[in-house]
Amino acid sequence: MTTLVNLNLITDLQKFGAAEINACMSCGNCTAICPLADNDATFPRRFIRLAQVGLTDDLVGSKELWTCYQCGLCTDRCPQEADPAEFMATARRYAIAHYDKSGIARIMYTKPVLGGAIALVAGLFFALFFAAVSGEQSKTSLKLFDFISYPVIHTVGIVLMAVVALFSLIGVVLLARDIARHDGVTWKSLFGSGAAWKRTGKALWYALGIESLGQKRYRQDCADDEPVVPLYRRRWLIHALTIWGFLGLLLATAIDYGMDMFGLKPTGTWVPLWYPVRLLGTIAGLSLMYGVTWFLITRWQKRADSEQHSLPTDWLFLGMLWVTGLTGFLIEVALYVGPAPMWGYWVFLIHVAVAMELVLFLPFSKFAHAMYRPVSLFFYGLARDKALQSV
Amino acid sequence: MSQIPAETAGDKPTSRPQRRIGVYICHCGGNISDYVDVDAVREALKDEPDVVVSESPVFACSDGTQHDMIDAIKDQNLDGLVVASCSPKLHQVTFRNVAKRADMNQYAYTQVNVREQDSWAHPHDHEGATQKAIGLVRAGVAKTRLSDPLEALVVQTEPRTLVIGGGIAGLRAAIGLANVGIEVVLVEREAELGGWVGTFGPTFPNNVSGAEEVAGLVAEIKSRRDITVYTRAELTGKSGSFGNYDVQVTAHRSDSDKVFEVRVGSIIVATGFDSYTPDEGEFGYGIDGVITLPDFKKLVDSSTGALSYNGRKVRSIAYIYCVGSRQGAGGNEYCSKFCCTATSHASLQVDKLDPSIRQFHLYRDIRAYGRNELLYNESRDGGSTYMKFADDDAPSVAKLPSGGLAVSVTDLLTDRRPLTLPVDLVVLVTGMVPRESKSLVDILKLPVGSDGFFNEIHPKLRPVETVVDGVMIAGCCQSPRTVGESVAAGLAAVAQSAALLKKGFAELDPLVARIDPEKCTGSGECLTACPYECITSIEWDGRKVAMVDPATCKGCGGCVPVCGQDAIDLLGYTDAQMRSAIEELITDAEPVKEPVA
Repeated sequence: MTTLVNLNLITDLQKFGAAEINACMSCGNCTAICPLADNDATFPRRFIRLAQVGLTDDLVGSKELWTCYQCGLCTDRCPQEADPAEFMATARRYAIAHYDKSGIARIMYTKPVLGGAIALVAGLFFALFFAAVSGEQSKTSLKLFDFISYPVIHTVGIVLMAVVALFSLIGVVLLARDIARHDGVTWKSLFGSGAAWKRTGKALWYALGIESLGQKRYRQDCADDEPVVPLYRRRWLIHALTIWGFLGLLLATAIDYGMDMFGLKPTGTWVPLWYPVRLLGTIAGLSLMYGVTWFLITRWQKRADSEQHSLPTDWLFLGMLWVTGLTGFLIEVALYVGPAPMWGYWVFLIHVAVAMELVLFLPFSKFAHAMYRPVSLFFYGLARDKALQSV
Repeated sequence: MSQIPAETAGDKPTSRPQRRIGVYICHCGGNISDYVDVDAVREALKDEPDVVVSESPVFACSDGTQHDMIDAIKDQNLDGLVVASCSPKLHQVTFRNVAKRADMNQYAYTQVNVREQDSWAHPHDHEGATQKAIGLVRAGVAKTRLSDPLEALVVQTEPRTLVIGGGIAGLRAAIGLANVGIEVVLVEREAELGGWVGTFGPTFPNNVSGAEEVAGLVAEIKSRRDITVYTRAELTGKSGSFGNYDVQVTAHRSDSDKVFEVRVGSIIVATGFDSYTPDEGEFGYGIDGVITLPDFKKLVDSSTGALSYNGRKVRSIAYIYCVGSRQGAGGNEYCSKFCCTATSHASLQVDKLDPSIRQFHLYRDIRAYGRNELLYNESRDGGSTYMKFADDDAPSVAKLPSGGLAVSVTDLLTDRRPLTLPVDLVVLVTGMVPRESKSLVDILKLPVGSDGFFNEIHPKLRPVETVVDGVMIAGCCQSPRTVGESVAAGLAAVAQSAALLKKGFAELDPLVARIDPEKCTGSGECLTACPYECITSIEWDGRKVAMVDPATCKGCGGCVPVCGQDAIDLLGYTDAQMRSAIEELITDAEPVKEPVA
C-alpha cells in the first residue's frame, strides 16, 4: 500500500521549532547513540525522516515520541548539527497540537503573543470572577472559605475538570487508537485471553509504576550527566520530585475532600502541622517547589540540551506550577502566623485562580505530556513483552 | 625444440663489426636486488662478447650513476648501452638522454625490465628470478649488438590550430592559443557561438551566468586578429600529416556552400554533447508537467518571482535523477556526473524564487564531488528532501484526475515505504549523450569508445591527446563533465598544442616501419593492414611498390608479419635483432621450474 504524503508537514512542524532539522542527512548517528532507542522503539532518525517526507500519522501517532526524555546525547553527536533532540521535542509539541481538537494548543505554540494574551485573559478572568463572588474577610482568624465560598470553588473546579477531561480524553483516545493501529494492537490482543490480560496488566504497571512513578529509564538509561551533575540537581530527580510533589498534593486534596465528605474534618479548618493530611501536603508541596524551582533555574541558565529552546508555553507551564506552589505555602504561613493577615486572602485568590488556569491548560500546554507519555509507555511496555506478540 | 648450444651462441661470425657495450644491472633499492642476485647477473654478463662494462649500481637512475655512465661511455668509447632496471615506461627516456649527453646514438640504448617482469613477479624464487634476469639482459645485449644508428625524424610544424566547436571549451581554448601566439581557426556548426553554456543563467558552483561568461569570451575573440571564426561551418576533409594538416572547411551560406583549405599544425575537437531525450512514457515523459533538466533550467532561469509552468503555479516539484544515465546493459551505462550538482543548484535557484515550494529529490546515489557537496548540503538545508530509491525499483509518474502529478517511489531511507508524492512538476534529471558526429570521426579517425564519446589516450596521464598525433579532444565530447572541467580540458589542449607547435618543429621517434623496395612485390597486403593509412603504393623502378610515410607511421609493426616477402622491417626492432635476442634468451635456459606454492 502506498501512502500519500503530506507535502506541508515539515514546514508546518517547523512553526513549532526544530529550525535546524533540514540539515539532517539520515546518517543515524542519533539512533546509534540514543540510550533509549532499541529494537522496540527506534528514534530519532526515523522520526526526522517521517517529518521530512510528510507522514503525519506515523509521526504523531507513535509511542516513540514520548519515550524520549531529551537527554541531548543525539544533539551532541549529530555531525550535521541538526539538533535531533530539539526535533523530538518539537514533534511532541506538534503531536500535542495535533491531538488537541480545540486548536488552542496550536495557538499557544505557534503564536506566542496571542497565546500569552489568552493565558493572561484566562488568569484575569478567574481572578476577577473569584473577586466578584468573594465574601467577607474575617479579621479574627483567616476564614478563607468565607472569602471565597467552598461550593463556588468546588463547582468551578468540577466544571473546569469536565471541560478539560473532555479534551484530554479525546486526545488520549485518539493517540491510543493511532499507536494501536500502527503497532497492530487489537482489543483481542489486550483482553482476548488470560495471558493477554496478564500482559496488559504488566504493561500498565510498567507505564504507570515503573516508569511514570519510578522514572526507571530516565534514572538509569538517560543518566549521561551522572558523573558531572551532583545528585541534588540531576534531571531525573528534579523531574521525579516534581511528579511526586504534584501527585502528593493531588492526593492530599482528595483526602481532604473525602474527609469533608464523610464529615471527619471540614475543609479549611485549622489543624496542627503534624496532622497527616497537612503533613503530606506540606512535604509534597516542598517536593514540587524544589523540582519546579530547579527546572526554572536550569531552563533560565540553559544548562541542559533540553533547555536550549524554551518557548513561552514552557515558561507558562512551569510558572503556573511555581506560583500555585508558592501561594499554597504562603497560605499555609498565613494560617499559622496567628491573627488573620489581610494579604492571606489575596494570596488565596491568586492561588485559586492560577490553579484553575493550570488545570484548564492541561491539554493545551506542555502539561499534556503527563497524559500522553503514560499512554505511549503502555504501548512500549506491550512491545517489550514478547510473550504474546503474535496474539 | 632444438636448443642452440652455448658455444654456438658465443661463436659470432667474425664478419660482424665489434661493438663496445656497457651493461648496468640496477638494484632499484631492493626492489630488484632483494629477489635477484644482482652481482651474479653482473658477473654472468661480464664476459659476454662485446660487453666492455658491467656494473650493478644501487640506483641506475640516480644523478651520480648517470654521470658514471656518461664517463664510461666517453672513456671506454662505448657504442651501445643496456640498463636492466624498471619498465621502459618509467626510465627509457632518462637513459636515452644519458646516451645523448655522452654523444652516443640514443637508439643504441636498450632498457631491460627486470623489475615488473622479473623480481616483482617471482619474489618466492630467487634463483629462478636470477636466471631469468641473466637471460633477459643477454637478450637486451643481443638486441643492442645489432642496433643501427638511427636519427630522430624532424618535422616542420605550422603554428596554427583548428578548433572545432564554439562551446565553452572551444572558446576558451581559442583564446588560450592566441595568448601563446598560435593562430586559431575556429569552426562552429551553429549560427551562434556559445554552445550549451551560452544558454544558461546562473551556473554552479559560483552562480556566474553562463550566458554572460560566454558573451565575454565571444567579445574577446572578436577583438583578436589571430582568431578567425567560421559559424555554420564544418570540417569536411583532412590531408597531410602531423604538424602540417591541410584541413578543408565548408561554410554553409544561404546561397551556396563555401569551401576552403587551411594548413594547421594541430586540431582541437571540442564538439560537446547532446542532452538525453527520454522515450515517450519513460518516467512519464510526455505527460504535461513532466520535463527534462535542460527545459527546467530554462524555466527557472527565465522566471522572476513565482515559478509557474504552462500558466499553472508550481507549489511542489519532484526531481527524478539518473534519467538516461547508469542504465542497464545496452543503455547508457555511464554516470553523467554533472547532473546531481546541476539539480541541487537549480533547486537552490527555485528556493530563491520561492522558499515555500516543496522539492523532493529522488536519487540513486548523489555524486556531488569536491566543493559541489556544499551545494548539495545547502539545498538540503533549504528544505529539499532527498529520497533514495533502489536501482531495481525506479519511481513511476502518473497523472492524477485532479490535474496534478503523482510520483510513486519506495524510499530506502523511510523504512522502504512505498510513498506517493502529489506534485505539480516532475523534472527528469537527464544526463549527457554523445553527439552524432560520424563525418568528423571518419575524417579525423577519432577513436570512439563503447559509450560513444571520444577516447583520449589515458584519462589521467594524457587526458586530451588522442592516438592521432596532433589531434586533441577537449570537453564533453570526451565524457560528461562540468563547465569547469571542460574549460580545464580546453586549456590542457592549448598547452599540448603549444608544446607541439611553438618550437616550429617536432622530433619523431625513428622507430618506424621501412620497406625494402628491392624485396617488395607490390602485393598491397600491408596497405590494408596499416591502421594509420601511412603506407602508399608508388612507382619505383618501373613497378609498383609500397612506401611508408615515416611521419605518420606509429611503429606498431602491424604491417611486418603480413608481408609475404619479408620486405618490411621495424627500425629498432628488426627481425635480425629480435631473432638474436630470442636466441640469447633461451641459451643456457634451465628447465622451467614449477612455481613455489
